[in-house]
Amino acid sequence: MELTVTKNATCTFCGCVCDDIELHSDGERIKETKGACILGQSWFKNHTAERLYPAALVNGREATVDEAVEAAAEFLHAADMPLVYGLSNVTCEATREAVSLAELVGAVIDSHTSL
Amino acid sequence: MLRITGGTVYDPANGVHGEVRDVCIAGGKVVAAVEGGRTIDASGMVVFPGGVDVHTHVAGAALNFARGLIPEQHRKAVPVVHSKLRRAGLGGVTPTTFATGYLYAGMGWTTVNEAAVPVLSAKHTHEELRDTPIVDKTCCVLMANNELLLDLLEAGEYERARDVLAWLVWAAKAYGVKAVNPGGVAAWKWGKDAKRLSDPVEGYGKMTPGTIVAALARMVDDLHLPHPLHLHCNSLGNPGNVDVTLETMKVLEGNRAHLAHLQYHAYGGDDWGTIRSEAVAVADAFNANPNLTADAGAVLFGNTVTITADGPWQHLLFQLTGKKWANLDVENETGCGVVPYAYKPGSPANAVQWAVGLELLLLITDPWRIYLTTDHPNGAPFWRYPEIIRLLMDRDYRREQLNTIPGAVHSRLVLPELTREYTLSEIAVITSAGPARALGLPHKGHLGVGADADVAIFNVDKDPARMFAYPRYVIKGGEVVIEEGELRQVVEGRSFAVRPAYDEAVEAYLRPVFQQQYTMSFDNYPVGPDRVHGLEVVGPATQAGREPGEPGA
Amino acid sequence: MSCTLGEVKNRADLIIYWGGNPAECHPRHFTKYTIMQKGKYVPNGRKGRTMVLVDIRETPSAKAADIFLQVRPGKDFEVLTLLRAIVKGQRIDPRAAAETGLTLEQLTDLADRMKRAKFGVLFFGMGLSMTRGKHMNSAAALTLAAELNAFTKFVAMPMRGHGNVTGADVVLRYTTGYPFGINLCRGYPRFNPGEFSSVDLLVRGDVDATLVLGADPGATMPQPAIDHLARTPTIVLDPKVTHTSRLARVHITTAATGITAPGTVYRMDEVPLPLRPPLKGPYPSDEEVLRRIIAAVRKKPAWEPDPAGVMAG
Repeated sequence: MELTVTKNATCTFCGCVCDDIELHSDGERIKETKGACILGQSWFKNHTAERLYPAALVNGREATVDEAVEAAAEFLHAADMPLVYGLSNVTCEATREAVSLAELVGAVIDSHTSL
Repeated sequence: MLRITGGTVYDPANGVHGEVRDVCIAGGKVVAAVEGGRTIDASGMVVFPGGVDVHTHVAGAALNFARGLIPEQHRKAVPVVHSKLRRAGLGGVTPTTFATGYLYAGMGWTTVNEAAVPVLSAKHTHEELRDTPIVDKTCCVLMANNELLLDLLEAGEYERARDVLAWLVWAAKAYGVKAVNPGGVAAWKWGKDAKRLSDPVEGYGKMTPGTIVAALARMVDDLHLPHPLHLHCNSLGNPGNVDVTLETMKVLEGNRAHLAHLQYHAYGGDDWGTIRSEAVAVADAFNANPNLTADAGAVLFGNTVTITADGPWQHLLFQLTGKKWANLDVENETGCGVVPYAYKPGSPANAVQWAVGLELLLLITDPWRIYLTTDHPNGAPFWRYPEIIRLLMDRDYRREQLNTIPGAVHSRLVLPELTREYTLSEIAVITSAGPARALGLPHKGHLGVGADADVAIFNVDKDPARMFAYPRYVIKGGEVVIEEGELRQVVEGRSFAVRPAYDEAVEAYLRPVFQQQYTMSFDNYPVGPDRVHGLEVVGPATQAGREPGEPGA
Repeated sequence: MSCTLGEVKNRADLIIYWGGNPAECHPRHFTKYTIMQKGKYVPNGRKGRTMVLVDIRETPSAKAADIFLQVRPGKDFEVLTLLRAIVKGQRIDPRAAAETGLTLEQLTDLADRMKRAKFGVLFFGMGLSMTRGKHMNSAAALTLAAELNAFTKFVAMPMRGHGNVTGADVVLRYTTGYPFGINLCRGYPRFNPGEFSSVDLLVRGDVDATLVLGADPGATMPQPAIDHLARTPTIVLDPKVTHTSRLARVHITTAATGITAPGTVYRMDEVPLPLRPPLKGPYPSDEEVLRRIIAAVRKKPAWEPDPAGVMAG
């Protein structure tokens, strides 16, 4: 099968955030990681485009994303003092939305930094 | 559609100085007439074109660095409370992004120029500007210590340097070119400075700050950029720096330049004990050089935080104040320093700074060439502009304020002798029409047919500070965003960027040099056009722009 | 007193790593940014640079160092303070030095090297910032670097951990003014580390629902915090079903950052970089799921912040 080449890809495993990696993928998995270090290699190769996990779980049972989104909104809206936590391996665009959501429900928002 | 009736209109760009007339708006623009739609009765009120800030620091790595440094000031900041319309945030000396948009719009300002953007972190600046609502935005990209450029200038390769500059402007999705302490920040990378125009620049042989200034101003004019070289002169803030400022005007050799925060560059004296105003000398020279525009960079007493790409100046300020200091050098491009600061009326040096800003505004005769700024947040936060307007319009108030500074300082100033009072029309020039023209934004700063419908409507008030702090209505792009002092609607702002012409081959030159000197991939360096929210690309002007002092059509 | 990593690459002739193990934790730090690079003003590369490693034990990074200084555990603050004194020319009691595990000669030699360097850099890792003294240690390191600028060019920067923790810091600062632990329950940002930090809130049982993304607190937090996450509604967005997902009421699988999700991340020196995801996955991005949750919350009665709370703030 022909491999797709992605040049100047960025690795987010460690704080170095190297952006000079060349990735070869077969559409499902990354086969080669030119320029990546040993940690980056396993980071890239451990991911896949396959559907390995259910789209969503609600109370431990498989659910649609719509159902899960609705349940999440219900819990966060009902809470008096919700917490939004993590943000250590999400994009800035996601963090931006997380702030917006935290504001909407009057939450505390905190990253991994406070640990 | 919207009709503003019965207001006293100040539209100096179109020769309207306080006439009762209607302003009609359709499709976000000022039009000759409208049928139907809403009418705002502005009888007894004053109608201005929306304010334009030619020099401010509202977004990007340096400002955000400052936000992180001063949590204790945020606790005293005005909270911006979340509502259905409004995002939460904080005011204060470094307002958060959403708050910045609300605060500017809340005093009738609708366009801002972020004055210091490194190419390396331009993505960050645009990210913040995206979350700065209501106002339209431009940015100036930092060039006077960019080593890709300086190396070419050192080698005498002007044309290639100009192509590199043009490429970098577009890579950053910038609108103008900024020069900060030319050569001085490059020297700072070795802990040195370049204070005088003929000083050698550490790390270079032939170049001096003077040759850098001259070359950059020429490049900006050769490329027909709408905004002239935006210049932060060498030796900012130092007693006796007037000589450098006057010499800078000479080395420009008639090329256009906008002198940023002129107040910080008009001092005499030998040290902090003897510092005195040289506003007269600077204003005289400035008046005689029609190729120049300037903004005041006025200072008001109180707490703030100083932020500048001028690393060596910030280190000096740190040594003087013993306060917090943070410095962030940006590879191959620029530096950045942050020092919290309080201007105190009892300090003779601060009193001189306070007076010099006002003196320049009063001594420079053509209001079309000097604009109201505080170099936010350096001289004071931007939301204090109305206080400066009062000082300009009311000489009795000015006299009162002069009594709050040490009497012994009066002899080092010219302010006590100045009796000029600004008219409303002149205020409209220095806050809107003038800076819009200096930025080369023909659709901003006026209310003629075809202009962007950015309008501020004020109640008449005998206290200009109150009048200009609380507009009755603010209209941005034809939408009423502020009404009766309340936020009624939040619109998105646009970002103007310029795409100057350059030889495409310059990329082949840049690529290997970049890979050698930088730490990121060349292809990841430019800001993608899709990453700039509301991007509107402006072509370079067909000629080197109008004379800054020339009245509008 | 910091800089982007390219400044180190182009200029640094003295590179100090303190409490970090880049050889294992940031493997390309040496080769891409620091000691191994031939820089613009360090044309001889490795030969033109001196590397010092300060740590409590000899990690694999010591092999790369010219000088390894082994500090007694918990004595980093003392070493930094002694160095500040030596740099300023103050006299030091050799016994004070001995308590740190280093000799006065070693400390004086390091201080001299720092002052003599043309461009020095101090990278400090979790071994400094997360051990006894914590932020006091970081502050001492930053102060030492600031004070060295009276003699030469000197910078310091933390070796930030994994992923986009720097990007979160950046976005939180420009939207709220604060870097982490921000309380929006009164409708505007308030900051008080210790009071509004996640672990404290969870252990005290102060929060009554938690949205987790880009972290797995179920595997890393203290047990009382985990217990509270299990007791109250927890929602997880993650590319994998994590420890936290298993105790959560809701889990939504999302696209992996930089693998199947596009966007922006920040390097430890706050340089923003675009992501170029090589794969197209079946899951929505965190960004998209968050937008959908926001839309669903917006359909419910709006929460209005308590103005009385604002006045009390």
